[in-house]
Amino acid sequence: MTNASRNPAYRRYTGRMIPLSLAYVGAVGLASWLIPDGAAANVATVAIALVPGLAALGWIWAMARFLVELDDEYLRMLEIRKFLIATGFALAITSVWGLLELFTNVPALPIFFVWPLWCVGLAVGQLVNWRQTGAAGCA
Amino acid sequence: MKNRLKQLRAERAWSQGDLAAQLGISRQSVNAIETGKYDPSLPLAFRIADLFGARIEDIFLRDVQQQEA
Repeated sequence: MTNASRNPAYRRYTGRMIPLSLAYVGAVGLASWLIPDGAAANVATVAIALVPGLAALGWIWAMARFLVELDDEYLRMLEIRKFLIATGFALAITSVWGLLELFTNVPALPIFFVWPLWCVGLAVGQLVNWRQTGAAGCA
Repeated sequence: MKNRLKQLRAERAWSQGDLAAQLGISRQSVNAIETGKYDPSLPLAFRIADLFGARIEDIFLRDVQQQEA
């Protein structure tokens, strides 16, 4: 195990994230096709809308397994730091925007965007890792 | 934390990749430890010491400032 990308945990993580992401995109596409814009929340529409959520839960599971299975302590430290930076990034933006929503008439930020914001935070975390250590981690 | 890992590795003509393979860690980890960017856990420090047939304190050097504090 001399290269981070050769770590089996990384390969398993990629092997889980790719099908989950394809399932997510497919489920979102299917929901968009089946549910018309502005549809009322009933059993059918809620059930269809929740299907992509299963893939999102799968992402969280895959990330947790990745950290558990990553046996290289230095790489694990880099990944955990990335996750913490991403969490801080998403919380900072959403909490500050929430206050703006509370006290001003700025448009509401849909909760849907919390996850994409967290993923942008991952990129920020990767950049921080790279600047501080010269290694960005492997995921 | 300063250490003698690079020196010990050079004495054996091992590359960072060679050492990483023997320790079962990534080359990035070896590089981070050698350059003092990352302090290994106690179990990994013991594995490193065992590999070189030395004591942990012969490889990892205490910071002088920490000693004075």
